[in-house]
Amino acid sequence: MGDEPVIVVGVKQVPDDDEVRIDPDTGHLDRASAPAVMNPPDRNALEAALGLRDDAGGTVVAVTMGPPTATDVLEEAVAIGCDDAALITDRAFAGSDTWPTSLTLAAAAESLGADVFVCGEETTDSSTGQVPPGIAAHLGWAQLTYAEELDPEFDDETLVARRDVEGGHEVVAAELPVVVAVAYGEFEPRPAGLHRKLYAESEFEPIELSAEDIGLDDDEVGIDASPTEVGGMETVEPVERERVVVEGVDELADELAETEVFG
Amino acid sequence: MSPDDADGANDEPVDDGTVDTDAYSDVWVFVEEHDGDVMTVSWELLAEARGLADDLGEDLVALVIGEDVDDVAGEAIERGADRALVADDPVFEPYRADPYGEQFRALVEERRPAIVLIGGTHTGRDFAGRVAVPAHAGLTADCTELGVDDDGLLEARRPAFGGNVLATIVCADHRPQMATVRPGVFAAAAPDPDRAGAVEQVDVVVDEADTVTEVRERVVGDTADITEADRIVAAGGGCNGDLSPVEALADALDADLAASRKAVDEGWVDGSRQVGQTGKTVRPDLYVAVGISGAVQHVEGMNDSDVVVAINDDPNAPIFDHADYGIVGDLFEVCPALAERVRDGEALAGSEADIEPEAQR
Ligand SMILES: Cc1cc2nc3c(=O)[nH]c(=O)nc-3n(C[C@H](O)[C@H](O)[C@H](O)COP(=O)(O)OP(=O)(O)OC[C@H]3O[C@@H](n4cnc5c(N)ncnc54)[C@H](O)[C@@H]3O)c2cc1C
Ligand SMILES: Nc1ncnc2c1ncn2[C@@H]1O[C@H](COP(=O)(O)O)[C@@H](O)[C@H]1O
Repeated sequence: MGDEPVIVVGVKQVPDDDEVRIDPDTGHLDRASAPAVMNPPDRNALEAALGLRDDAGGTVVAVTMGPPTATDVLEEAVAIGCDDAALITDRAFAGSDTWPTSLTLAAAAESLGADVFVCGEETTDSSTGQVPPGIAAHLGWAQLTYAEELDPEFDDETLVARRDVEGGHEVVAAELPVVVAVAYGEFEPRPAGLHRKLYAESEFEPIELSAEDIGLDDDEVGIDASPTEVGGMETVEPVERERVVVEGVDELADELAETEVFG
Repeated sequence: MSPDDADGANDEPVDDGTVDTDAYSDVWVFVEEHDGDVMTVSWELLAEARGLADDLGEDLVALVIGEDVDDVAGEAIERGADRALVADDPVFEPYRADPYGEQFRALVEERRPAIVLIGGTHTGRDFAGRVAVPAHAGLTADCTELGVDDDGLLEARRPAFGGNVLATIVCADHRPQMATVRPGVFAAAAPDPDRAGAVEQVDVVVDEADTVTEVRERVVGDTADITEADRIVAAGGGCNGDLSPVEALADALDADLAASRKAVDEGWVDGSRQVGQTGKTVRPDLYVAVGISGAVQHVEGMNDSDVVVAINDDPNAPIFDHADYGIVGDLFEVCPALAERVRDGEALAGSEADIEPEAQR
């Protein structure tokens, strides 16, 4: 670690789940028309990163791999309090699954001199949660997933996390550098300050980095480097439900008595 | 790269084009254990993977990593594995991504499995994401169906776009083909004490001195298994911290308590009881959603229930679209009234009448 820790936070632009509409012709969800927003779990990641800076100093840099339009989420991250932001963008990244995505973010972390890379639990559009461990594996760093509390012991080159494990928790100390994925819903995000917001909207320009800039060859990323491919899509018929709304408890009890559960 | 790179996980991957897929065979299941306790999802995967291995005409191998895990390996054989590979060492207890990842990398390099299945628990996902990278494996998260095609390729199916679409993910040119599956998606098979199989101790390649993490504390309490429940009453954000009405209803119905993620995140209910995309998949005869809005991530975990009842004070709550019977009303009134009616009602009591209702907490 240098004198001041560099904390990188990964944020991704995703379609707004609340605004996803059903296409009346096909009955499919129409994600393309939904407005793009910051992946909700990444708001928690952002807060965790800013919290580390509050405790231990240093700088927080938001990073996104995506098309130029993803600049919007970087502006938002800067408005909320990030010192800087980087857009990792290149046509060569198109079609990346989690393997090259995590490679790209790992390379970006190195270019930016990261000591800590904070991520969200998972994205709402691809929902794999594999990118953070993938980044850690590419770099050979420690990883702390499902983090619900962070305690920087940076003087000892250590970050301590309380991790949510099924049915309990554990406290894990990791040597820096480290990748953290915070549990969704933990680290309540702070609001954007007015001053910061004006700055983000008017003056701020993100750092822009291509594959080459972060030391990657075109064939190491994108679809060519993606081990998985979509072999097919099938529509799933929605589960048929009675959808009876009853007036009161007695009526519900009567209906239930007719069902196989109680019959 | 950091100079103190602990586990060599950043070694250059094998060049993409040159993976000899024919050199890889067998189906592996990662048996997740903590202090000798195995996560049920591992047994669910063994049951499902038994069919895949039979279709392929290959071995089903249980991968057991931990300390003093011979009993676990033995049970894995009883539950369907042909063989067990055991990496037994204090460095593996409790779980840490770095030593587990390094051990797995070495094993994959040496043994070349075609398919590796891992439970989609927090530990399983932490492990899967880490190990897929050095192997340059194809990894599909949260599958709900698994099969093999005519060429012996794994077809990993997962819901996409809010569950309206099932996408089939394949990995043609890389090995192993890896997938995670959330708890409750498949049924576990009962152990067969007559099954025999070889348990092989493998070389442990990890040294404690090379690890970069240390577990300072581990506290595990409620590890309830709601996936086997016949009846479930689930609490949501509407409960506002007061679970008593939900518990009373669960008690009257002789049902297990479950929860939405909101109720879990608020700390009202333990995480092991969470239903949904990032929790468990349940398929009870009866699912009562109390004060739950019906977000897609929740519905995904309860949609296979036979009869769904929703109690919500908002007539426009999406949960009513996913319910057979709904009551628009205040849960603090509806739950106690329904609980009383269930206790009194002859018809409702039905065949359960002679069973002492008992809290399932
Ligand atoms: C990546 C990701 C993964 C997720 N995974 C899961 C998951 O696995 N499981 C899950 O459940 N969620 C999951 N979620 C969260 C999900 O999107 C919803 O936020 C969550 O399900 C909301 O929980 P809820 O409906 O209980 O609470 P709320 O959204 O707070 O809804 C409360 C409901 O209770 C009703 N209500 C309020 N007061 C009363 C009253 N007095 N009487 C009756 N009704 C009342 C309200 O009308 C409302 O409909 C995930 C989200 C993300 C982004
Ligand atoms: N394209 C991306 N740009 C920046 N961060 C990302 C990107 N994809 C994933 N992440 C980070 O990794 C986390 C997990 O994503 P996923 O593995 O896709 O579910 C997200 O919450 C982000 O913090």
